[in-house]
Amino acid sequence: MSGFLRSGDEKITITLSSQEAHVLINLTEQIIELLGEEDGGSHLSDGHTVDDLMRMVGISTNDAPPIDPVLLRLLPSAYKDAEQSSEFRRYTEHGLREKKRANAMTIREALMPQDEDWDNDSPLDVAHITTVIEVGDEISWLAGMNDIRLALAVRLDIGVEKDAKPQHEKYELMVESDPMKAVYAVYAWIGWLQESLLKLL
Amino acid sequence: MGTLTEAEVKSDLRADRPWVCVVWDDPVNLMSYVTHVFILLFGFSKEKATELMMKVHVEGKAIVNSGTREEMELDVQRLHEYGLWATLQRDDEI
Repeated sequence: MSGFLRSGDEKITITLSSQEAHVLINLTEQIIELLGEEDGGSHLSDGHTVDDLMRMVGISTNDAPPIDPVLLRLLPSAYKDAEQSSEFRRYTEHGLREKKRANAMTIREALMPQDEDWDNDSPLDVAHITTVIEVGDEISWLAGMNDIRLALAVRLDIGVEKDAKPQHEKYELMVESDPMKAVYAVYAWIGWLQESLLKLL
Repeated sequence: MGTLTEAEVKSDLRADRPWVCVVWDDPVNLMSYVTHVFILLFGFSKEKATELMMKVHVEGKAIVNSGTREEMELDVQRLHEYGLWATLQRDDEI
């Protein structure tokens, strides 16, 4: 049985099939990569960029809202006013990216195969991994899974308008061969995982 | 100091008006998750957090906190960390 469980010693564990773990690892890696993409800045004489220096103090020289709709969903504007939003981004977006990357890395590291964790004798489809969620990491898991679902939602065209139900029906009715149906299945599955962890907290 | 323009006087009078942090509905975010984040960040009771979550869900948005601009910026920043869609504004711009 997959999902989060609280064991007898009060520890929370997650059990996943190896295929499920690989899907989750792959998605966290995409989030880590996406959030790590920053625009190159002008180079200084010592080879560092102005951006490098600004990043050291947590300030970004790029304060425009992200063009990529996935990044915009993950890094929304704080003000309706574009100018105020830009100033806020200058001082906070770098830190926000780092926090979200750290959450994704927490999930990835917990699931990365270590020889003793994997039931290598079983065929791939029944091999599974059980990992203890470190105390304090629960919220990183919740936030990290939420970021994955936000990113998938953009690809699935699940917008912020009140249209979640019609979207759900749309994917339910899709033919099995449609690749978007599989993407929706992953989105729904991670929502289920998130819910199963919330129930234990 | 020069004479203040009418606009500057107005903005000066508004300077201590509280700012508010608004959370907007995003159908991706699970109701139980939004409630959990409200409890975690604002220390609300389960009842209060659930009530605010329902307001976001039904009405499309809810004011979750008010205070100085700096305080509300910090709230928005933390809500963004958890993937909630939050903005801040002056309370008279609602």
